[in-house]
Amino acid sequence: MLAARNITKRFGTTLALDRADFDAHPGEIHALVGENGAGKTTLMNVIAGRIRPEGGEASLDGVALPVGSALGALKAGIAVVNQSPMLFERMSWEENLAFGGFETGRFDLATVAANARRLAARLGFALPYPGTTIDERSMAERVRLEILRALSFEPRVLILDEPTSVLAPSELGAFLHLLRRLRAEGRIIVLITHKLSEALSVADRVTVLREGRVVERTRPAETSEAELARAMIGELPEPQTRAHLAGGDEVALTIENLSLQRDGHRILDRVTLSLRAGEIAGLAGVDGNGQSELVEILARALKADSGEIRMIAAGGDAALAVIPENRDLVGLILDMTLWENLMLSRPLRERATRRAWLDREHAIELCAGLLRRFGIRAPGPEISAAALSGGNRQRLEVARAIASDPRVIVAHNICRGLDLAGTAEVHRTLSEFAAAGGSVLLISSDLDELLEMCGRLFVISAGRIRETAVSERNAETLGMLMAGSWT
Amino acid sequence: MIVSSLARALGAVVLAAAIVALVLLALGASPIGAFVALAEGAFGNWYALTDTVVKATPLVFTGLAISVSFSGALWNIGADGQLVAGAIAAGAIGPWLGGWPRPAAIAILLAAGAAGGALWGGICGWLRARRDTNEVISTIMMNFVAAQLLSWSVHGPLIEASRAYPASTPIAESAHMYMFFSPSRLNLGIVLAIALAVGCYLFLFKTAAGFELRAMGRNRRAATFFGIPTARLTILILTVSGAMAGIGGAVQVSAITHRLYEKMSPGWGFEAIAVALVARLNPIGIIFSSLLFGALDNGSQAVQRGQGVSAELVQVIQALVIIILLAFDTPMFDRLRNSLSAAARPVSRTTTTELSDA
Repeated sequence: MLAARNITKRFGTTLALDRADFDAHPGEIHALVGENGAGKTTLMNVIAGRIRPEGGEASLDGVALPVGSALGALKAGIAVVNQSPMLFERMSWEENLAFGGFETGRFDLATVAANARRLAARLGFALPYPGTTIDERSMAERVRLEILRALSFEPRVLILDEPTSVLAPSELGAFLHLLRRLRAEGRIIVLITHKLSEALSVADRVTVLREGRVVERTRPAETSEAELARAMIGELPEPQTRAHLAGGDEVALTIENLSLQRDGHRILDRVTLSLRAGEIAGLAGVDGNGQSELVEILARALKADSGEIRMIAAGGDAALAVIPENRDLVGLILDMTLWENLMLSRPLRERATRRAWLDREHAIELCAGLLRRFGIRAPGPEISAAALSGGNRQRLEVARAIASDPRVIVAHNICRGLDLAGTAEVHRTLSEFAAAGGSVLLISSDLDELLEMCGRLFVISAGRIRETAVSERNAETLGMLMAGSWT
Repeated sequence: MIVSSLARALGAVVLAAAIVALVLLALGASPIGAFVALAEGAFGNWYALTDTVVKATPLVFTGLAISVSFSGALWNIGADGQLVAGAIAAGAIGPWLGGWPRPAAIAILLAAGAAGGALWGGICGWLRARRDTNEVISTIMMNFVAAQLLSWSVHGPLIEASRAYPASTPIAESAHMYMFFSPSRLNLGIVLAIALAVGCYLFLFKTAAGFELRAMGRNRRAATFFGIPTARLTILILTVSGAMAGIGGAVQVSAITHRLYEKMSPGWGFEAIAVALVARLNPIGIIFSSLLFGALDNGSQAVQRGQGVSAELVQVIQALVIIILLAFDTPMFDRLRNSLSAAARPVSRTTTTELSDA
């Protein structure tokens, strides 16, 4: 039996795991479900020795697992299949598997391939032609190769981290069948997922994590998708009619039939949405359902395959400010100064440009003014953005968006990682912007935030968007909508 | 900024010299004697001094080419080929400029050099922007193409009238660069190089396009997200870089060689990478680091003659300077320096704590 007791882990000020307990038995598929950031992956990383917890211990069959040693955990019989397959793209599948337990010590690819074929046959799937490289294979095949590599260590415990998120619907059935076969061999299978239907259909038991705590342990027969969704999401604020946030009749931005495919997978599917002047509209969804691509398309950093975005509001494209999700990699350039980071915004840059010359004094003055107005704690415009705390970085991004004098702001997960005060401040700024006639599209995976902030609420799942009715704004329904019950 | 990077460079030179001194001692040679000979060879008399400047000139042009492209994270390793391409263009057009007044003839020669270099750099820019070809590889490869093209030119189509030597027909005298203080080889080229360095500095740090380039260099993803035309900038900057290196080649033809030979560059385009890195890509700093490298090149001959120490030892100094500078340029040392200065000034320390708490 795999047992974890009282696991506690902090990242900075965030409590990622709070005295979490977890059990799984041989011959069982155990689903671990929870929202983004609930601590699922962290818990499994602790068990697999990739992260050293502050407290608690894990054991397998009564033997304590080595703490903080991935190699030790692997030797003890715990193998992990990563969320996105970690394979060497330009190497053949045999070479990739040679990094696993098939290797005999003489680097004999023929033996590796033979052993892999034997195992694959036992599990009921075929392997590619000898010598084919990973970059030619489909996602489903990559996941299978990653599982094969994990199984080559003959592990007692196989942990699969969101393996289905990269699979096409047609590939899912065969995959779940494979999991059942592995269970029949007496292994302990842990399936991390946020797809409730999947958890219910394949798992023997389900553990629900919320904000680092185990909130529910149950069996599929004793629960329902709705009940799990509520456990996952928790209590939500009462649905209110936020008429003042629904805006007027004037349309500011329309998105029509936006579609995008990538590597044969549908990322966005005929997304249609219009934003009204004065409203804060919410877009809820589990990360990775097309939100990032939608934001990139709106920022004109990515071209859609088809469809149209039209700015109706005065000012045209320059009046659309986009705040991306990843402030440290996309939103800001950390080793540039604060004023230079402001100049990334095209409208601000154009306003500071006299002929070809960039008016540095103007930019610094603008920056100093924004630092005061938005209470950004920084010694001055000339320090690098890397010197700011996370909250102040976020304030700078919001300040930059507001300063460009937009009519529409699209903001993606901008309060992630912010403390309560920081979140409240960002929310107040956006509310004021909307009250003054601006439109906001708030894209977030945090339902609390969306229900508190938004008039209309949309849900995105597998690249499709659907508006929700007021009556649907409860934990169960929203949880099921986000999990794709309607797509 | 310039002062601090100059101080760093000098510090690195001193440290490198100290290490070399130990090596010399171990070899039984006199470090003092070697360094005196080096300094005399580089600055000891009027001829040595002017020749140091002459040796620095092509390094400034190629160093600027590196600086501007590296600022945009475009890893142009092809300044040597771009310089050679510029020289070929200048050497090809030079014999035909007999009838032109001198300023016009020189301008045409330099423009030809710029065009040749621009073509060499521009091809790599286009390949990177439109075909996603790694510019490191394409620029390196274009070096070989330029070198072979030069060799073929001076053996074939451009060979001088007697067809006895692998060299091109001399350029017209009207296209000879303005020389100063004859018989020294000092010429207008260094003035052009300094003017170009000032221009590059203004472009990089004072214009909107220069800002866009630096933003692209620091974070191409963010630059794309904020609508900076990265593809267009890539083509433009590699073209301009190539043009600058090409002018360097044309200056060499116009002022020094007056014709093409089989080997036009002893590897300036590669030395320029070190020159640019030592200057931390600052165009003004490149003037000084070029002079430093020019002096080391120039002085090394004297060391060999006078002290019987091989000239290669100077290359060891150059390499050590680069390694030491780069080693002290890592974020770890930056943090160490910051924490030392913060400890020295209690005021700034409180600011740092406040920031991290906020």
